[in-house]
Order: sequence, then structure tokens, then C-alpha cells
Amino acid sequence: MQEYLRLENITKSYGDKVAVAGLSLSVPKGSIYGIIGPNGAGKTTSIRMIMDIIAPDSGKILIEGAEVRRDFKNNVGYLPEERGLYKKHTVEEIILLLGEIKNCPRKELSSRMDPWLDKLNLLEYKRKKVEELSKGMAQKLQFITTLIHQPKLIILDELFSGLDPLNIELIKNILLDEKRRGTTILFSTHVMEQAEKLCDYLCMIHRGEKVLDGKLADVKARFGKNTIQIQMEGDGAFMRQIPGVEKVSEFNNYIELKLSEGAIPQDILKAVTDKVTVSRFEIMEPSLYNIFIETAGVRPSEVTVSAGGGHA
Amino acid sequence: MHKLWIIIKSEYLQVVKKKSFLVGILLTPLFMVGITVVPTMLAQKKSASTEKIAIVDLDTAGVGERFAKGLEEYRLEDGQPSYGVDAIYRPADTVALAELQQRLDSMILDKRLKYYLIIFNNVENTDSVFLVGKSFGFSTNSRFERKMSHILAEMRLEKSDINLDVDSVLRLTRSMDLIQKAPGGKERDFFTLYLGGIIFVMIIFGTVIGYGQILMRSVIEEKNSRIMEVLVSSVSPFQLMAGKIVGLGLASLTQVLIWGVIGAGLYVFRGNLNITADIAGILFNPVFIFFFITYLLLGYIMFSTLFALIGSMVNTDKEAQGFIFPITMTLILPVILAAYLIQEPDSTVAVVLSLIPFFSPTMMILRLNFIGADSFSLANPIILEAFAGLVITALTALLIIWLTAKVFRVGILMYGKRPTLPEIIKWIRHG
Repeated sequence: MQEYLRLENITKSYGDKVAVAGLSLSVPKGSIYGIIGPNGAGKTTSIRMIMDIIAPDSGKILIEGAEVRRDFKNNVGYLPEERGLYKKHTVEEIILLLGEIKNCPRKELSSRMDPWLDKLNLLEYKRKKVEELSKGMAQKLQFITTLIHQPKLIILDELFSGLDPLNIELIKNILLDEKRRGTTILFSTHVMEQAEKLCDYLCMIHRGEKVLDGKLADVKARFGKNTIQIQMEGDGAFMRQIPGVEKVSEFNNYIELKLSEGAIPQDILKAVTDKVTVSRFEIMEPSLYNIFIETAGVRPSEVTVSAGGGHA
Repeated sequence: MHKLWIIIKSEYLQVVKKKSFLVGILLTPLFMVGITVVPTMLAQKKSASTEKIAIVDLDTAGVGERFAKGLEEYRLEDGQPSYGVDAIYRPADTVALAELQQRLDSMILDKRLKYYLIIFNNVENTDSVFLVGKSFGFSTNSRFERKMSHILAEMRLEKSDINLDVDSVLRLTRSMDLIQKAPGGKERDFFTLYLGGIIFVMIIFGTVIGYGQILMRSVIEEKNSRIMEVLVSSVSPFQLMAGKIVGLGLASLTQVLIWGVIGAGLYVFRGNLNITADIAGILFNPVFIFFFITYLLLGYIMFSTLFALIGSMVNTDKEAQGFIFPITMTLILPVILAAYLIQEPDSTVAVVLSLIPFFSPTMMILRLNFIGADSFSLANPIILEAFAGLVITALTALLIIWLTAKVFRVGILMYGKRPTLPEIIKWIRHG
């Protein structure tokens, strides 16, 4: 696959603190690429360096094989982690302003505006001031301003932060549409379950360093089918004692078991159904969360598990 | 260039479209008139009712009576006498005088009397006259002074052996008003010079502080609303800063231009408004206008960049206040020193102060106004100094822009804690 964006050995430190340590990654053209890691892993710093907002101490950033030129920003749609818009501007004004500073002609912006507003249920607010919008609406508006100039590369920092589940679905679908048009999408998140549902490629980072990267399917295959998800009623604490279970991770409404080599899932099922009523039993690839815990060698408490937005 | 233009346009419209812009255009001239003209007019205001005075005459030559008679010529607008002499006292000894003074003092405190005048013995030779009162008007003071000098001169004349009638001698010794003119022949009046100078300094002060703070607040707001990061992902921080400074600068020029048009309109349709040649001389002096506009622009660029710097370092208006105070003082200094500068606009202190970067715009304008210049001839030291000041201000502005650009880049993305000085120095080094 053709490569669109490439980071070569990027390093950035603030004083003694190393934010990003020799990060290299390759984002294929037209893919959805997730940078995944807990808070403070260096995701935002990496993205800001790609956006030329801060300069790396060393390393290279290449777009389609060439070093980044200033006008490349016009081809990028950037949604920072911290979101905000001018409060006193109207929806229309803010779209025009943010589109125009991407060198997108006013005429095109005007003609694209209404379909976008319509798609995100904001059309009736076109002439309202930003301060009159709810937080969710402002987020959707900001999302429009990120995409309206039809960028070749979309960069979304902490994509899911502050979005309710309905809007997450809406935005996922729009991103899939963009991908179909050939747009390359790079996003970061600390919510691994969400990332898993969206990305084709991923890079896990922890404390500024890359833990692993590659195609989602390949990464999962590398870790084998040694995971079982169980949905059931009752206390799952006993599962740690079942022979062949190496690790138990409890999520909101299911439990994930990692099996030791050679363990037979049927035996596990039997042992579980002896104690509790099971409503779902599934043999699957390990979740990104477990892969991360295992590869990065971190305590589970360092990583956010639950889906649904709000970042810590 | 295109992006810079969009930022300029956006910043310009953000200010000009606000109601406060219109209010500022209307209120600022009123405010300036308020703080300059009104107090002067009040001070010159004639009192509306007859002021009661008493005369204590310790002399024997009838000075008191003459003075009382002399005051009769002053009339209020309604024809009533301006002063009513209550009584002329002649205390016999110092004890009686002390008693009398005590009584008169209490009358003044009770407002039954406005002033009393003590004419001492042998006043003809000693000029010894006191006026006692709780407060004194400008016009009363000068009238009494003039009247008394006149009476004493008359008396001396009568006793001398000069064989002329009183009137012709008085004509000989008549005092006159000195009309001040600048080299080249333009008439200059102290009051107009002073007021004119202060008004021009106030315009610079108002523009720099007013628009500088708008700029600073907009940076703080963009930081707080987090839109800053979106902006710098499309334009460079330098473009953003420059766009803001130019956009707001154009807004301030619009304001000054509107004032200019209003002023010119008032001048054309002045009717029986009495505008002196001095004001016209200042307003229509191309040399002064050139320097005023260049200093206004350079001063604005220099200080507003400084405000952008402050805005990029702090998180709230409150944090910024500590930085703003020295800027305000720097700009207001010429107003404080104006009384001195108008007397000695050429002194070494004045020249040196007006060549110090941050003082230059306001100081030089004040001095130019006081000294006056009709051509750009470098033989005139003030012109040479004014150009030197421009160069110094421009270089300082460049230095500040360079410095600010470095800090701005980092500062605008720093939320939370205000940076310490060592941190800022680090930003400048690595920026």
C-alpha cells in the first residue's frame, strides 16, 4: 500500500521530560490509522509535531515521501484535543473563517456548508451564534470546520472526547465516507475499545515510545485466538481459579479471559456454567486493551478501559 | 499573504462591528473635552452673585476708599455689581486689629463674607496688601492685583514732581500682554500649546492602551476557548500575530480617521465658534501631521506587540494587570511632565527622555508641539531628533516583534500555570 505520512525517529523533550522518544511510523494512504495510548503517552505532542505547531528536537516528518512544506497545512483537517470556537461568531461565519484560512475559496465553502450542516442536524442554527449552541452541537460544528475544505489528511486528537454515543456513531460514519473518498485519517485516543472498532492500522505508544504498530488484523493475529469473552450474571471472581485461565479482565458488562497455551475453551465453558448463568460465550482475538497491557507491561490501572467518551 | 489578509479582515470586523466601537468613537472626544476643556472653563467661570468683601485699612491715605470705588466698575452679567464692599474698618491698634480679624474670619466661615483685604500702613512704599478668603477665583485675583497696582501707582504719581496728568503717565507705564510666536512668525499661545500637546498625547495613549488591550484580550480569549490551536494549524503563529496587530491597527486608524473627519467638519462649519489660529496651525501643519501619524503607527505597533506578548503568557485578564501598569505609566509620563516640558522643551533631560524607546512616541509629539516646526529641514534640531526617535522606535518595535514571535509560538499553547521568567528565556532561546 502507498504510504501517505511517515514519521522518522521523532524526538521531543520538555526540559528533562521526554515526551516523544524516537517515534517512527508509517501511515498508508486512504487508511484509518489510530495512535493509541494512555494519557501522557505522547500522542498530542506527536500530532502537534505533525501539524508543525511545535518543532521536533530531531527526526523527520515526510508527506508522500517529501519533507513537509508550509502549504501542506491547507490539505490537513485538524481537530485538536482541546476544542473551542469563537463564541461571538455565527455558525456560518466560523465555517467561512476557518475554511478560508485553509485557502478554500469562499464560494466553495458556501456551497458545501448547507449539506454539511444538514447532515449534522445544524442547518437551523446557521445564523445563530456559537455561544447559543449546546456543547454537543459545538463539537459537531467544529467537526464540520475540520472537514469542509476537503483535506487529504484528517488528524483528530482524542477523537471521542466529549462526544455522546449517538454523535460517535454519526462521526464514525462520516469518517468512513471520507475514507471511501481516499482521505487518509489519523486519530489518537486513549479509549482502546473505540479505536478497535474504527482503525485499519494502529500504533500503540507508551511513555513516548512505540510499543507496537501495524495492521489491526495482523496485530491481533500475532496474539492468537486465546481470548474468551463471557457475558453472565453473578460474580466472576472465581474464574481466576479455573485451570487454563491465565488472566481475568473485568469490563463493565463482560469478562475477558486470557487462556494459557493448550487450554481448551470447552473446558472453561463447562467450569463457568457450573457456577453462573452465561448469556454469551465467545472465543475471540484479544482486545487491544489486553494486547497493550501485555506488550507495554503496565498495570491495568494506568489504562482507561470504559468506552463512551469522557477522557480522564 | 492571502491568509494574513483573512486574519486582518476577521480581526478588523470583530472590532468594528461591535457596538463598543461606535460608543468609543463618540465618547472618547467627549471624555477628552471633559478632562481638558471643562475644568479650564469652570476655573474661568465668573461668579453669578455679588461677592461681599470687607476692607481693613491701616493706612491713612484713603487707599481703601479708592479701592472700593474702583471695584464698582466690575459688573455681573445681569448688571449687578460683582463686588459689594461691606465696610471699611480702621482698627486703632494691634489688639483691635486682632479682634477684628477674628470677627471677619468667622464671617467668612459663616459665608457672610467672601474676602477681606488688609491694607498695611505705608502701603505706598511697601506694597503690603493681604487678601484673606477661603477660596480665590482667577479673575478676582487678577482684578484686585491690577486695581491695587493702579491705585498705588496713582498715589505715587500724585506725590512725585512729574508734571504730567495721571492718565498720560499711566499710558506710559501701561503693562502689556506678550504675544508668543514661533520662529517663522506663527502665533503661539501657552494655553493652546499645552492643551493641544496633551490632546495629541492622549490620542496616542488612548489608541495604544485601548487597542493594545483589545489585542491582548483576544489572545487570552483564543487561548481560553482553545481555538488558538485550530488557528495555528492553518496559519503560522507569526501570521496570526501580525494579522491581529494590523487588523486592530486598521480599526484604530478608522477611528482616528472618523475623528479627523468630524474635526474637519466642525472646523469648516465652525460658524461663530472661535477657533484660534494656533489650533488651526497645529491641525494643518503637515510636518506635525506627518510625525504624529508615524509616531502613532510605530508606537501602536511597538506597544500592541508587547500586549500580544503579555496575552500569550498569561491566562486571565487579572494576571495581565501587573504587566499593563508599567506600560500605562510609560505612556502617561509625558502628561505628568508636560508642565516642565513646555517651559524647557529643548533641555537635555527633555531630549534624552524623548529618545528613550518607550517614551519616544508621546514625548516627541509633545516636544514637537511645543517647539513647533514648519519644514522638514534637518537644520532644525527638533526635526533631526524626531527622525532619530522614529528610527529608535522602529528598531525597538522590530526587536519586540522578534522577541514576541518566539514567545508567542510557545505561549499560546500553554494553558494553566503562568510561565516564570527563566521559562520565558528558554522559550526565546529555543523558539
